[in-house]
Amino acid sequence: MEEVNVRQRAVTTTRSSELSRRLWKNKWIYVMLLPGVLYFLVFKYIPMYGLVISFQDYKPFKGISGSEWVGFEHFQRLFTEPDFLQILGNTLILFVMNLLFYFPIPIILALMLNEVKGDLFKKTFQTIVYLPHFMSWVIIVSITFVMLTMDGGVVNDLLEYFGLEKVNFLLAPEWFRPVYMLQVIWREAGWGTIIYLAAIASIDPQLYEAARMDGAGRFRQMWHITLPAIRSVIIVLLILKIGAVLDLGFEHVYLLLNSMNRNVAEIIDTYVYTAGLKQGQFSYSTAIGFFKSIIGLILVMMVNRISKKMGEEGVY
Amino acid sequence: MKRKLVSIPLGVMLVSSALLAACGGADKSASTTPTASTAASAAPKATEADSKPTAITIMSPLNTAQSPPDVIVKELEKITNTKLTFQFFPADTYEEKLNTTLATGALPQVTYLKNQATFIQMKSAIRDGQFWEIGPYLKDFPNLSKMKSTTNDNTKVDGKLYTLYRGVDIARQGLIYRKDWADKLGLKAPTTTQELYEMAKAFTEKDPDGNGKKDTIGLADRNDLIYGAFKTVDNWLGVPNNWGDKDGKLQPEFMFPEYVASMDYFKKLRDEGLINKDFAATSKTDQIKLFTSGTAGMYIGAMTDVASLNKDLIKNVPSAVVDVHSMVAGPSGKFSSWALGGYNNVVLFPKSAIKTEADLKKILAFFDKEMSPEVANLMFWGVKDVHYSVTDNKAKKLDEDKWTREVKPFADSAIGDDDTTGRYLGIPSIPAAGKADQLKIENLKYAVQDPTMALDSKTNLEKGVQLQALITDATYKYIYGNLDKAGFDKAIEDWKNRGGSKIIDEYNAVYKK
Repeated sequence: MEEVNVRQRAVTTTRSSELSRRLWKNKWIYVMLLPGVLYFLVFKYIPMYGLVISFQDYKPFKGISGSEWVGFEHFQRLFTEPDFLQILGNTLILFVMNLLFYFPIPIILALMLNEVKGDLFKKTFQTIVYLPHFMSWVIIVSITFVMLTMDGGVVNDLLEYFGLEKVNFLLAPEWFRPVYMLQVIWREAGWGTIIYLAAIASIDPQLYEAARMDGAGRFRQMWHITLPAIRSVIIVLLILKIGAVLDLGFEHVYLLLNSMNRNVAEIIDTYVYTAGLKQGQFSYSTAIGFFKSIIGLILVMMVNRISKKMGEEGVY
Repeated sequence: MKRKLVSIPLGVMLVSSALLAACGGADKSASTTPTASTAASAAPKATEADSKPTAITIMSPLNTAQSPPDVIVKELEKITNTKLTFQFFPADTYEEKLNTTLATGALPQVTYLKNQATFIQMKSAIRDGQFWEIGPYLKDFPNLSKMKSTTNDNTKVDGKLYTLYRGVDIARQGLIYRKDWADKLGLKAPTTTQELYEMAKAFTEKDPDGNGKKDTIGLADRNDLIYGAFKTVDNWLGVPNNWGDKDGKLQPEFMFPEYVASMDYFKKLRDEGLINKDFAATSKTDQIKLFTSGTAGMYIGAMTDVASLNKDLIKNVPSAVVDVHSMVAGPSGKFSSWALGGYNNVVLFPKSAIKTEADLKKILAFFDKEMSPEVANLMFWGVKDVHYSVTDNKAKKLDEDKWTREVKPFADSAIGDDDTTGRYLGIPSIPAAGKADQLKIENLKYAVQDPTMALDSKTNLEKGVQLQALITDATYKYIYGNLDKAGFDKAIEDWKNRGGSKIIDEYNAVYKK
């Protein structure tokens, strides 16, 4: 009996020494990992503790430990809010539009860029389409305002010149979504191509050579080689995009929001701002944010499962 | 080959998660994550000898493009024997900053709010006992005890004074218009709302700039029913200030028939194209640009803005002449003017940063000095002969831009009023500015106060902003013709059902007590 114990101890010590040996051997890799781990710990995991205030009547003065617990009261208020369904609907519609109209554009753009011959033209073009990404939404919305306003805006002046009726782009509820989408595409499409271009660049050129030998044209090559090769990338990006489902850009929507288009433009983020932050209702805003994250999580898990069923990698 | 394909998504993941992380970080710091301790640690030690400068950290909204250099701070420290740290945050996002800092318990010793609205929202935090009640201490300070008692009453919470106020003209609202256009078209300053409408019509249709094109409009307005033109005009038309007394009971302004008449008035202006058509989506900057570019001939708001509007206007249209006007009678023939409670901002003293009564007294002593003429002039006008000169006991700015850059942020946080601090009055830079100064005093006779200013309603604190949005939206929709009278009445019903009735009851319960 004694002997067995000793032997067991010996095994565990060798095991732990094996671990520490491996740790030591790869120490620089772990050191490199450290900032990332710390980042997620400090900025993502520790703040999650703050979520408890969504179940409290949080008073800054009393702090988290001293505030009164109210259970699901804030969630109840959210779900019984008369505008709740409308706000959720607006958020989801914008999200679906993002997926349908915005998501494919960087892929198409990347494929097209990939086919471009002249290096100079390609580089110049790339730079130009990246540029809008570095402008803040305030600037983009202001430019749009100047172009679309009914008092001397270029677009309406053109419409008038051609004998058409002026359109109230800025205030009409039916124009909010198109304007929003166009701005998103204009700003982000070029930037979105970066990752696809990187993926395309790493495709083995031999595949193209072989295809050409078999008589495949450019379009065939794109369809049978480029697209399948970047399929995994597309799916990973899709899942990540869906994870950010309800992050539609608070700043952007808030700038476009006005009294006339509120019934289509109010989304969860702007609602948190007006109902929560501006009125200093911390618990209520946290509850809404919490709810939003849960929807995001559910969607990511769903899509991830589907992508695995389809034989793809998924994100986890 | 297979391996290679797998490695791509992994690489992508790394890159994009880094990107996401970076974006996430930026978002969070603005909204949810507690922003690291905002120098609340600068609290002074009570044990320090009195001769040692008191260290004070002050958080204040910034209305200029950038933080000021420390010229004024240096002078202030010298005169008041303090060590000052000013934390300026852009006024546009100040409420958010204020709320997040409050949530993390990191407010500095001296915390400025942004305006009356933020003060009303802060009331629940004040009731929780997070701030020092300063009322009982004021009598110990010769200058602070001079603060106007009427304004102090307006800023009390449950009858107790927690704040020092920044005084503002009570009745500064009025019309700023192009005098050169009016003269050319043979128009006089409008004395009634009907004449006001006629002026807007003439400015739009009779080619006041004489270029042969129909490219001018009457009134420039913006997406703000309160500080834009609407509230000033609706007061002229007889609408009460936020709440009005009807048969001894308080009732919100939008339940008065005059409110509907005001909406009709604006609807007419819009339908006939006498106002910028997109005003519901126009920012203040774009509104001001309409006026200063010579497109619009009328601006309704704070008359005291005339000097800055004029400055930019004559850059674009050198021949332009502006004037101000305020007595505009509604259909009843009576004058009235929307009154702003006498303050536009207040200062709070958080208990989390000021631990002892002795510390509080030291900080109040600083504010007491701030209200002496010497320090008040420094805060408001700057350094003599650098920022301003004095003739006939009145100050004149030497260089408007330099003053704006170096002094304005401090002038915006100077407590008290012209008469309570004894600081210099200004010499108007243009005649219209002098006239505006006179009119805002004459306006006082017709000032309409908000009867709920010192009253409280729990429901209003909780849902007021959201509920008000219902009415604001309905008002715009009515003006734009998307909603008729029945639709507007339905919005009022909605407002009542969602908590408005409670607000009415709560206000009336404390009204006339």
